Amino acid sequence: MADGELLIRNGVVYDPINGVKGEKKDICIQDGKIVESVTNPKVIDAEGRVVMPGGVDIHAHIAGGKVNAGRIMRPEDERKGVEPKTKVCRVQSGYSIPNTFATGYRYAKMGYTFVMEAAMPPLLARHTHEEMVDIPILDNAAMPLIDNNWMTMEYVKSGDTDLLAAYIAWIIKATKGYGVKVVNPGGTEAWGWAKNCDLNDAVPYFDVTPAEIVKCLGEANEKFEMPHSIHVHGNMLGHPGNYEVTTATYDLVKGIKPYRDRPAMHATHTQFHSYGGTTWGNFESKAGAIADYINNNDHVSIDLGSVILGDTTTMTADGPMEYSLYQITGRKWTNHDVELETGSGITPFLYSGKVSVHTIQWAIGQELALLVKDPWKIALTTDHPNAGPFIGYPIIISMLMSKKRREESAEAMHKAIFDRAELPSIDREYDLNEIAIITRGMAAKTLGLAEHGKGHLGVGADADVAVYDMSPEERDAGKIQKAFLNTKYTIKAGEIVVKDGEVVATPPGRTIFVTPECDDKLMDEMMVTLKDKFDKYYSVTFNNYPVQDAYLPHPYEIKAPWRSS
Amino acid sequence: MVEITDVVCSLCGCVCDDIVLEVENNEVVKVKRGACSVGKAKLLGHERIKSPMIRENGELKECSYDEAIKKAAEILYKSRRPLLYGWSSTVCEADKVGVELAEDIGAIIDNTASVCHGPSVLAIQDVGLPSCTLGEVKNRADLVIYWGANPAQAHANHMKRYSYVSKGYWTAEGKKGKKLVVMDVRKTMTSKMADVFVQVKQGKDYQVFSALRAILRGHEDVVPDEVGGVPKAQLLEVASMVKEAKFMMTFFGMGVTHTGARHNNIVNAIQFTRAAHLHTKANIMPLRGHYNVAGINQVCTWETGFPFAIDLSRGYPWYNPGEASATDLLYRADCDSAMIIASDPGAHFPGESLRHLAKIPTIQIDPYANPTTEFADVVIPAAVSGIEAEGNVYRMDNVPIRLRKIIDTDYLPDEEIVERILTEVRALREKEGE
Amino acid sequence: MQTITLKLKNAVMSGIAAVPVEVDALTPDKLFGKSEAELNAVNVWWGNREENTGELFDVSVEGDAASADEVKIVLEGDLTRVKRIGEGMKAGEIEARGDVDMHCGAMMEGGRIVVKGNADCWAGREMRGGELIIEGDADDNLCAMYRGEIAGMIGGKVTVNGNAGELVGQYMTGGEILIKGNANRLAGLNMSGGKITIEGDAELFGPDMTGGEIVMKGKVLEMMPSFKFLETATVDGVEYKKYLGDFAMGEKKAKGTLYVR
Repeated sequence: MADGELLIRNGVVYDPINGVKGEKKDICIQDGKIVESVTNPKVIDAEGRVVMPGGVDIHAHIAGGKVNAGRIMRPEDERKGVEPKTKVCRVQSGYSIPNTFATGYRYAKMGYTFVMEAAMPPLLARHTHEEMVDIPILDNAAMPLIDNNWMTMEYVKSGDTDLLAAYIAWIIKATKGYGVKVVNPGGTEAWGWAKNCDLNDAVPYFDVTPAEIVKCLGEANEKFEMPHSIHVHGNMLGHPGNYEVTTATYDLVKGIKPYRDRPAMHATHTQFHSYGGTTWGNFESKAGAIADYINNNDHVSIDLGSVILGDTTTMTADGPMEYSLYQITGRKWTNHDVELETGSGITPFLYSGKVSVHTIQWAIGQELALLVKDPWKIALTTDHPNAGPFIGYPIIISMLMSKKRREESAEAMHKAIFDRAELPSIDREYDLNEIAIITRGMAAKTLGLAEHGKGHLGVGADADVAVYDMSPEERDAGKIQKAFLNTKYTIKAGEIVVKDGEVVATPPGRTIFVTPECDDKLMDEMMVTLKDKFDKYYSVTFNNYPVQDAYLPHPYEIKAPWRSS
Repeated sequence: MVEITDVVCSLCGCVCDDIVLEVENNEVVKVKRGACSVGKAKLLGHERIKSPMIRENGELKECSYDEAIKKAAEILYKSRRPLLYGWSSTVCEADKVGVELAEDIGAIIDNTASVCHGPSVLAIQDVGLPSCTLGEVKNRADLVIYWGANPAQAHANHMKRYSYVSKGYWTAEGKKGKKLVVMDVRKTMTSKMADVFVQVKQGKDYQVFSALRAILRGHEDVVPDEVGGVPKAQLLEVASMVKEAKFMMTFFGMGVTHTGARHNNIVNAIQFTRAAHLHTKANIMPLRGHYNVAGINQVCTWETGFPFAIDLSRGYPWYNPGEASATDLLYRADCDSAMIIASDPGAHFPGESLRHLAKIPTIQIDPYANPTTEFADVVIPAAVSGIEAEGNVYRMDNVPIRLRKIIDTDYLPDEEIVERILTEVRALREKEGE
Repeated sequence: MQTITLKLKNAVMSGIAAVPVEVDALTPDKLFGKSEAELNAVNVWWGNREENTGELFDVSVEGDAASADEVKIVLEGDLTRVKRIGEGMKAGEIEARGDVDMHCGAMMEGGRIVVKGNADCWAGREMRGGELIIEGDADDNLCAMYRGEIAGMIGGKVTVNGNAGELVGQYMTGGEILIKGNANRLAGLNMSGGKITIEGDAELFGPDMTGGEIVMKGKVLEMMPSFKFLETATVDGVEYKKYLGDFAMGEKKAKGTLYVR
């Protein structure tokens, strides 16, 4: 933290959480926080430029077992992004799967200051933390996978929601995680036998359905003052016609009352779940149907999962989906099932504008943003790197802001975009206030980080600021894209880390984790069952399982007390 | 006397973590349970390098840590092509400083994968790796295949903790509900336990895998009567065992990584697993030798993008195994200095490579004297990770486990030694005003 | 026609180690238009330091060139540790008088390289065009891909007068390779296009082929067990056994052709 004073003068500020929508305003910083005023500051001239809080990414795969398995598997991706070390920066490598240093630098250059690691297999949590410590600049957090866990499925079967909550508390504490992540519930356990599950299929041997798992986790999550909703990658991702499974999944948490002003479920990378048709031949966009649902309901929020054309690497805990993708493309494929908990699959993928299916996928990722009326329900993501690398965010920003750019792009793509997608018929263009909402405001609110100083520039907030070298009146898509790729300034905790698009400082970030608090008696009862699992089925001991403090040199704890109903 | 439980063994890739020790007067006096005989020997400790040493006129002379570290830094700083090799028997925290040092001085950083499972990594880069954690094998596998490996000797706890003898959720009967197949060039302790032993002619594993793949894909008609010394009938038998299994797990070792088609053997083994996956759940895993070779691969990959044999001499990482792997570099006399840490090339490298290693200034960082000590110019004794120093390691299935510190010591941990060398190198650079 | 002669000084390889020199900066298109003084000042990497070309080589220039096509570079001296000769070159000619180190002609796009000796591993790696002639032997990975890539050589023409090592043309998608001597195992691994001709002996050629052609004129030490014999075929007046494969990849992908004498 810089204890000096900093003044960002005369910028045009977009701070949606505080209702600031493009006002000429000074931002005052002291001791790493936003303050009311300063006396003798270093001055940054932001005259005529766009100023926003540091970006908050709600979902990206940046650290951990499958991310690194992807890197090991793809030296050809790593060599693409190679950059030599400098006086300030370590070596960089990777395009769709950058090394940890490049991850920090490139996000910071885009004005981002917080990233949520989307999926952490609990048994491998130490790995996620080791990598996050090696990501410079960014504050971070990670969500442990809790939906295919044997303990979860057993409690869902017996209907013991309180005990399930105790297990959730234990797992989040043991992994120093942030919240409840759900990926292909039940299906990834079934994948342990090379099978999969649709929403209402019984998981082999455990005899619960994914629908039951989602509902119980949704309820158990709200037993605590949890900052974030359950974060859900639903069943049947990537399958034509899956949009009905998607809305059925959303319906599962309709009756659940969240502890605070946030939805009961955050549904992630929604592009992959908005598919119509029955085969790849008649595949079509159902973004309209999904957008309708989101427009008419308040219990679900989404993030886009927008496609960036080109080569990328898919990696998720949805083992069966990754396998079917590999079967379609024949590319190399890595799989890593994790005992009693989850799994993962990784395979390269090339999104081509010449292919009808990819073109429609590309359209869907933008249709969702343009058809959902309230930007506070949406976050901009590419499910990095599944639909594309995070370095492509500026492309999506420029598309959403420019109908002209969308038209020009569509012209070079497959004609299917005209009859099996809606994008060409949509005129709406995002303004900077809306962009600020979907790239920082919404994520900070939905994650429960706004009250911890993220995603806004009110007094007391963390001094994480992005100054974009762009006039607020700029309408040229190319210039918008360029500006959002490399900031004029990025400030992190009051320190200038990027200047004129170059990294100038690399302070370490903090890892934010949640400590759910649970009744001792309940915990003790759950522990008996849990320890039995360790004795009989795990391949590590109970005492060696929890993540030790040594793995979080810069921790920030958020407590989540048990809710007294 | 104190009993310590949940001790993590720091010897082989099994990383058994349920060891129970007795400690008295800051010494491990008994290994009560959990360790195999080799692990036990390590935990009980053996003769150590007593002091840092610098070679003068052919003789190693005792000195202080400071002096040895200074000398090491000088050697590396002056060097035009330094090699930092080993890393597989230390913790990730030390590995990270190693990468930083390599980057700082423009060195090549390589690890024992180059002489061990490097070929497996190359195979993964070609076709990927369908795999799982060891608990999955314990709970589900009903067909276990060991190919070119003899775990009964080399990974003594493997079968009883993780694969064949072990009991799990769907494998409560242990061996009884499972089939064991061993593919090897000769009978071994492990093959004696097998339901089916397939004897493959030396160097012919590649063809055998291809034939099995063709059979599993429904093209047994193209396969001749004998492939690689294996009669077609036996190949068909193995293929039908695969088709009948519910969960097939293949483990492979050095028998296939360095003979015949080498890394392409592993590619083919993985392709065989992918073909098996058309019929049953099928996973495959290399039997990593050292307890943290997987760890140095992981650290190098997330920090530089590449898992081993990384050339940082031009300021950015260049990866091309066979070019910057330690044995090749030394064999070709490419490098002009070397730092050997947590490994023993003296015992494992070919003679030609060792000749050059003996010629160039060599720094050794290790708790124990070994053949490398015979020609090292600077010897820096380190604390034993897992007994005297804690830290993170990755088991053969890439599960991260933390080694414990059991007793105190005056020896410096690897992490600190490398950190101090790096600090000294930077001081030298500043002095030179670069 | 301009000839730039670069003779590696003896001192370079006479130290305690033979640290390789990387000459990817010294291609006809990169050196075209430079004066002799400028040539001497071009930086090349020798280990972890950059040195002036003039420090490591005796440089002499004869004649003029109107374009890079007219530039010929002659490399002399002990070239066994000179790497990346002609890497990425687009035009002109390089003559290497001696055995050369790795990556000779890697990622070439045009022009011509002649090696008057043996070439170490990865000669012609990821070649795109141009011509590479190796008068001696070629070590492993001739014209192969970079680790992890699914396309290696995509164009160009390579001739090896002597023997070749393992993995000739792995992941080849186009271009032509002629080995006049023997080829070690696994030539044409993962090939999907292009043509490899082997006049000497070879074993286990064509594994995992999904396209392209291998013409095997010499003695077959061992065939892959997963190819299907189709028929006898006559090519240029010579009779061959024609095979389809590799069926280890499954029927749909088995579109590679072997012509075996």
